[in-house]
Amino acid sequence: MVFATKAFWVFLPTVLVLYHVARGRTHKYRILLVASWFFYAWLSPQYLWVILLCTTIDYVAGIKIEDAATDRGRRRWLALSVAANLGLLVAFKYTAFAYDNAVSLARLCGADVRDRVWDVLLPLGISFHTFQGISYTIDVYRGHVRAVRGAIDYALFVAFFPQLAAGPVVRAVEFLPQMATPPAVTARQAADGLHFVLLGLFKKLFVADHLDALVVAPVFADPAAFGPADHRWACLAWAAQIYCDFSGYSDIAVGLAKWFGFELPRNFNLPYLATSVPDFWRRWHLSLSTWLRDYLYFPLGGSRGGALATYRNLMVVFVACGLWHGATWPWLVYGLWNGVLMCLHRAWDHGLAGVPWAAAVRATWAWRLLAWAATLWLTTAGLVLVRMTSWESGAVLARSWCGLDLYAAAGSVPVWVPALVALVALGHVIGGLRGRVELPSAARAVAYVGIVVLLVALGPAAGRPFIYFVF
Amino acid sequence: MPGVNSEPVAATRLDPPPAVRVAVVAAPERREGFLRRNRTPVTFAVLLVVTDATVGRFATVWDRHSPDDYAARVIACAREPRDLVFVGGSPLAEGIAPDRVAGVVRGGRELKSVYAVGLSGATTSDVYHAVLRACPAPPRVLVYGLTATDLNDARHEPHGPHSLMTWGDLAGWVRLRPESAEWVTRHFVQGRAGRVSNLFHYRHGIRMWAACEAEAVLPGSSPETVREADELRERAELLRTGSGYAPARGIAAGRYDAAKAAGFAPPGFPFLEKYRTGSHLKYLHKLIDWCAAGGTELILLDVPVTADLEARYAAAFAEYRGRLADLERDRGVRVMRVTRETAGLTDAAFGDVIHLNRAGAARLSDRVRTELAR
Repeated sequence: MVFATKAFWVFLPTVLVLYHVARGRTHKYRILLVASWFFYAWLSPQYLWVILLCTTIDYVAGIKIEDAATDRGRRRWLALSVAANLGLLVAFKYTAFAYDNAVSLARLCGADVRDRVWDVLLPLGISFHTFQGISYTIDVYRGHVRAVRGAIDYALFVAFFPQLAAGPVVRAVEFLPQMATPPAVTARQAADGLHFVLLGLFKKLFVADHLDALVVAPVFADPAAFGPADHRWACLAWAAQIYCDFSGYSDIAVGLAKWFGFELPRNFNLPYLATSVPDFWRRWHLSLSTWLRDYLYFPLGGSRGGALATYRNLMVVFVACGLWHGATWPWLVYGLWNGVLMCLHRAWDHGLAGVPWAAAVRATWAWRLLAWAATLWLTTAGLVLVRMTSWESGAVLARSWCGLDLYAAAGSVPVWVPALVALVALGHVIGGLRGRVELPSAARAVAYVGIVVLLVALGPAAGRPFIYFVF
Repeated sequence: MPGVNSEPVAATRLDPPPAVRVAVVAAPERREGFLRRNRTPVTFAVLLVVTDATVGRFATVWDRHSPDDYAARVIACAREPRDLVFVGGSPLAEGIAPDRVAGVVRGGRELKSVYAVGLSGATTSDVYHAVLRACPAPPRVLVYGLTATDLNDARHEPHGPHSLMTWGDLAGWVRLRPESAEWVTRHFVQGRAGRVSNLFHYRHGIRMWAACEAEAVLPGSSPETVREADELRERAELLRTGSGYAPARGIAAGRYDAAKAAGFAPPGFPFLEKYRTGSHLKYLHKLIDWCAAGGTELILLDVPVTADLEARYAAAFAEYRGRLADLERDRGVRVMRVTRETAGLTDAAFGDVIHLNRAGAARLSDRVRTELAR
């Protein structure tokens, strides 16, 4: 029962009605909690115990940390919480990866080891809710938030269904204060919720799924059957697809939360307008990048320990970022790739600091345009790593992406692919104007109806699963 | 406000400066009405209803680009009183060309107006409901072309409950076949719910229309969708104006013998898996009753299929033929047994493992004509 299924659109109105009809904080939150657990159980029934276990451990740990008389006691409970969350995450997500690599290593050493015949099914949203739990107990430890005394409140913070499966990674400090009294839904929230839900569905079902069917899936499956121009379009389309898929989910989550009166943090800020790799990571999956900054980069020392320590910390953070996404070598290399780019950018920045002409050049439009193009090229190259089906096919695609045969025949790319990629670019431009240009209600309503018509009539027959559901 | 703007009164030097108090009293905020506060969602809802109604106004356009196969055939058949109606699942839809049978003389009377209500994927339960809708005036002769798949109780096909049934039919089904009450209710309600919105109901037709329009502006933009739209438009036209013979292009032109020679090995046939009979059969009894009540002569035509299929599912075909023999004996229904040999149907006459191709359909139709004339 994901957002783009009929079952969800029966579930949602039912929960909304029950929630808004219920009186009193306790009833409302109970309804929302039961609905969230039902949502989880629908998608991942065998693993309901995982989220219940995480919730229980972190809830108890939070209280114990706050009540502990000594710092040692507080540290002990914090360690328990972090170890439990990371332990579950590692057990479910990295066991198979570790086993496979151990097998390969053993074979290199001449041992006769059989391939893995088992697999580990990942519990729904485990990467997200374990990070939420860790951030909560750390924040309690640091004194940034008070421990939650109500079990229902804490369980709802972890399991709130709009963001349960694929984030954003909501922090206690962002969510818990909103729970003090059941937030009333304002007219503005109702309208904004509609905006975000429709926009998210459009991004996911119309843009991402169509790009996948039209070019990404066929070209990535067999790059040898296509030419360099097709490869380039496929890479670009993949960058557009993964953005629309993930930000589409985030938008729907934000919109749904508004219909319950809650505000979730935005997860994307027009990432393909970034003019540097650090800028890209300040715009892409914000809830994860800020989480890694606050709970990993800063504790490691951040940039306070000299250049080498900073580079080391950046690499650790980005390798963790890559592995958080997936326990595979391509994701690990993706993390390394971004870590190296971040380090190079930092070195470049430091090298140019104080050079009088550099600041002037970097302020020009021409430089910004060049920086934007270079950033797009580099980040898309990184994304190819995580979509390729094998290293060989990745190499074929990478050659084309880096190639200079710009005038190669367009091959078999349908005309709709450039149109959809252009639509994503247009979305970024319009997004950049938000706040400066406010559309009148009637125009917005017309646009929403247009989206509904496009989704119903021209959307894919069957929606594909959200990419980030497997993380 | 009194006093605020008035001149200060005469004051001595020692007096403190007059205190001028300015109080800004904000007017109580005017609370906007519900509609004004929620103008975007409300406008959206209103426009959505208007759009949906507008889509409904162009229903014929969408229907021509993507007909509801069952509904279109039923409506076309019901348009005029028929002398002879063929009804059945896809083996009949692909295997009988009514124009070749029209004009046959049976019992001294010519059967002029002929139509084939061939419902791809239909079971006997669906066929019964199709007959009720397609024949407001009972025809003189009703030929139900069936094969083993029609009676398989392991099969549940949602198209019938979606397109052919009324609330009364649903109640009848629940009484007659209680073991599938939940299934039929769910699919019937889904079908009804799908018709609440014109946009949703005609979404495929709109998609096909849009592909054709896009093709006109940007040739080659959606070749596969246009091909599909093309076939559907042709089919819609045939169903609307013809006699119900609108074969699928792939099957009509297909050759099972050639496929076999090329190494094609037919996979399992899911419509004959887990074969059991009895529940759908109840609707065949109802069909016999309906025909008897209306004075319609009912003939059960055992539609031939490939020898490979019969050999692979020999037990299923034996059970099915046993049921036909029971009906013939107990209810006095005439069963027309047209074998492959008598109709001259080799593998070359089949488009796939169960459906006749165009040439095969012509042969079977001619054979049926001969049998009817006897």
